[in-house]
Amino acid sequence: MPKKEITCIVCPIGCKIIVKTDGKNCKILDGNKCKQGLNYAKSEALDPRRVLTSSVLVENGDWPLVSVKTSVPIKKKNISNVLKEIRSKRSMAPINSGDIIIKNVAKTGAAIIATKSIKVTK
Amino acid sequence: MKNFQVAVIGGGIIGSTIAWELSRYKIKTVVFEKGSDVASEASKANSGVIHSGINSKPNSLKARFCVEGNQLFKQLSDQLGFSIRFTGKYVIAKNNEEIKELKKLKQVGKQNNVPNLEIQTEINEPNVNCEAALWVPTAGIVLPYQMTVALAENAAINNVKFLLETKVINIKKQNERFLIKTNRGEFKSNIIINSAGINCKKIVSMLEKPDFNIYPCRGEYLVLDKDHSNLITSMIYPVPQKELGVLGVHITPTIEGNILLGPSAEFINDPDDKITTKKTMEKLQIEAKELIPSLPDIGVINAYSGIRCKLAPRNQGGWADYRIEESKKTPGLINLLGIESPGLTAAPAIAKYVNKLVSKHFELKEKSNFKIKKQQKRFNELTKEEQSRLIKKDSSWGRIVCRCENITEKEIIEALSNPLGAKTLCAVKYRCRAGMGRCQGGFCTQHIVRIMEKNFKMDVKQIRLKSPDSYLFTSRNREVDI
Amino acid sequence: MSNYIVDVAIIGAGPAGLAAAASARENGAKDVLILDRNGWLGGILPQCIHDGFGVEETGNSMTGPEYADKYIKLIEKKNIFVMAETMVLSFDKNRVINAVNKKGLHKIKAKSIVLAMGCREKTRWNIMIPGDRPSGIYTAGVAQAFINLYNIIPGKNVVILGSGDVGLIMARRLKFEGSNVHGVVEILPFASGLPRNVVQCLDDYDIPLFLNHTVVNIKGRERLESVTIAQVDEKMNILPKSKKEIRCDTLLLSLGLIPENELSKNIGIKLDEATGGPIVNQFFETNIFGIFACGNCLQVYDTVDVLSKGAKHAGKNAALKTKNKNKEINVKPGKNIRYIIPQKITNSGKINFTMRVLKPEQSVTLIAKINNDEIYKKKLRWVNPANIVEFDIEINDDLLKTGKDLEVSLDA
Repeated sequence: MPKKEITCIVCPIGCKIIVKTDGKNCKILDGNKCKQGLNYAKSEALDPRRVLTSSVLVENGDWPLVSVKTSVPIKKKNISNVLKEIRSKRSMAPINSGDIIIKNVAKTGAAIIATKSIKVTK
Repeated sequence: MKNFQVAVIGGGIIGSTIAWELSRYKIKTVVFEKGSDVASEASKANSGVIHSGINSKPNSLKARFCVEGNQLFKQLSDQLGFSIRFTGKYVIAKNNEEIKELKKLKQVGKQNNVPNLEIQTEINEPNVNCEAALWVPTAGIVLPYQMTVALAENAAINNVKFLLETKVINIKKQNERFLIKTNRGEFKSNIIINSAGINCKKIVSMLEKPDFNIYPCRGEYLVLDKDHSNLITSMIYPVPQKELGVLGVHITPTIEGNILLGPSAEFINDPDDKITTKKTMEKLQIEAKELIPSLPDIGVINAYSGIRCKLAPRNQGGWADYRIEESKKTPGLINLLGIESPGLTAAPAIAKYVNKLVSKHFELKEKSNFKIKKQQKRFNELTKEEQSRLIKKDSSWGRIVCRCENITEKEIIEALSNPLGAKTLCAVKYRCRAGMGRCQGGFCTQHIVRIMEKNFKMDVKQIRLKSPDSYLFTSRNREVDI
Repeated sequence: MSNYIVDVAIIGAGPAGLAAAASARENGAKDVLILDRNGWLGGILPQCIHDGFGVEETGNSMTGPEYADKYIKLIEKKNIFVMAETMVLSFDKNRVINAVNKKGLHKIKAKSIVLAMGCREKTRWNIMIPGDRPSGIYTAGVAQAFINLYNIIPGKNVVILGSGDVGLIMARRLKFEGSNVHGVVEILPFASGLPRNVVQCLDDYDIPLFLNHTVVNIKGRERLESVTIAQVDEKMNILPKSKKEIRCDTLLLSLGLIPENELSKNIGIKLDEATGGPIVNQFFETNIFGIFACGNCLQVYDTVDVLSKGAKHAGKNAALKTKNKNKEINVKPGKNIRYIIPQKITNSGKINFTMRVLKPEQSVTLIAKINNDEIYKKKLRWVNPANIVEFDIEINDDLLKTGKDLEVSLDA
């Protein structure tokens, strides 16, 4: 199995953890100083996910953009497809923080949720 | 309108003052300025000093126009409202050798009719190191960009046409007139006033073979935070450095309460190389600290440089007199060559002299309806009653946009509504000061851009910082369909 | 001119001001007024659309706007009076505030003032980068506002100077919006931001991190055309042979923050040079009676959670009647401590300290001594300058009566 170095993000020390992984199995070789690091390295090696935050164009709002996030972390490999869909989406004011802007974005199962409220422009 | 009687090339302090003098008369005048606003070059990048004349060679035009110009400033400031302050100047001597130089300077001053010069051994500046100093009470300070704008805008409201972002590409003599080709079309004029500053030789070359060379000499400055404004009250200059024909590193207070360190003096090849260099910025701080030991090591909020148009190279002493004359080879071409320090001080006197040259070609008939646009006091300079009254009249007086300098939304809107049509971020900055504080636009820039978008319907992709291609932004984040 | 009398006036409606206001109300202040110069509440939070806020405080990772919303709803619920788009022009030792907005001039007399003005970004001239002065140079926060609030992209080919969290976040943001990010340049031998951000903003997108490098020249007569970066040695001297020119149209500066205390300086509030903010006691009270300080104008915080915690204390104490002071003792930063807040202790009780260290270390012991007597000890697995260290110590009256300094230091 190929070796990989993963920078742990659980705390600011940022241990460099060496793992051996083939995508399905993972063995920690060296580098972590704590148990959380171990868990993080495993999940990062086998199933790296990220919460995406970005903006969606708003029509008729008192601000031109509404900030959004994915409802759950999405697989890293889907990031560019999700961003593409966010780019082309238009939404209409009023928007409430928590509103679903896009359901099942790029078929990831995650939703794109507004993180800000936008009123209708006066 | 494409036909004019007088075409002024260059909208710096010289061109703007000349334009204003001419605007009193029924003379069709145009000013071509290649920058996006007046005072785009050396006119904004200098020390802002109203010189006394002690540094000019006796019987030179520099000396004559400097002393004459100095005496015209109070009246001009009263009339147009731009700020001036006669802070006086101390020329500092650190040892006996330098005290001898002070005496020489005083002599020169007397020859130039500079009044009230006095050598003092105790000076009214507790933070300055010195053995003795020459006190020059007729030296003062002004905001050079504010003054240029005041003159230019007053000329504009009196029907002088200002064409910004208009570069003169070629000039031909056609019968009795000049055919001037610019990037914005062709114009005709009887007289050309060449006040193109560092580009004066380029203009002459379009019509004749120049009998002179220009030697660009860069001066760098540092601007200190207002926190340190109480270090000095007057200008503090060391004894002049003879070799270069320039003044050396000065410490100059500004009208707004900042302190300027500089200028340096470096002969360069490229007349547009307005960089600031690490070597000089460090040198300015070191040399300034020799005069004022308690000057802080931190506290620089800005740095800039201006390029002097010298007519003599370094190896010839770097000093040459002004050349202000109608060309013998090309009648109608009035050249102003080598207008470096004390150019700002000399401007009002130079303009009156140029008027005389123009009057040889046209009768100067005074306008009966000559208008004055007087610079108004800032919001933060008014009394509380005046402030309340203004806010009641127009609520945009009540929203402060530049927090460092307390500049209101109304002042920004007024700045963008200027009669010259200048609409850059610097056009705002040099008219109402927004963006010149210690945060250098960190807070106000986004709000000024919003005002440009909303109140002036400007396309954000067209917003520039200071010059025709200094775009602020590349695109919208999300494109809005129209 | 309108006149108001309030119990607590809070200058700034960012996270610190909002938390302080809610807490003041909860602790009995009847009339609480917040003033903010922007038309919106939340300060810098509405433009911080990334997540990572409030993890310690709530267990959830929120985005900036969501975190702000939480507190704004609290303010609304608690009937706290808000003056938005209002600039405080001055305030004095008697706690009279002069402010202005579109409705006119306002004079506000407050029993207590809480300063929550936040901070401003360091500019190019704080580090005097030589070269041309073109357009296309932005501090990271201003670029962030343009992209996230105003729907404007500042540039397409970007270099970022400074690897603090704001710089790292902006690297990713610009990449998301289609710009080329040529790299993040950092003068220190390590990134100043969290490893989480180095991984999720740079590594994830193959954005290079140039450590031990800085920008030594800027080129571009009108719009930025290139920057020159160079390596530095341990003494921060530039290695001339390492110079490298990077063609770009945008330079983002993420050089650090300066607490905003211009108004405070004018009336004699004593500042700590090391923090950039006022010297305070454990109640967050400055040297002027009834004037408190919290949030980024007190010290530049690294997480909003710790900031809000302090702001709540400040708000609470602004509301309560100030206790009688005993003999006060000074708190001194010792070995490897850059600064420590509060700088003074005036009353006994459990005191929450926040501090920053000078350099990164692992496996160190935090020791607090008064008059050479050890009164507190804590083992720390790691410390680094980018992260605030927090701890509580119980100080009793006997310790206060000694009048001796409390010294805090780190031992290996």
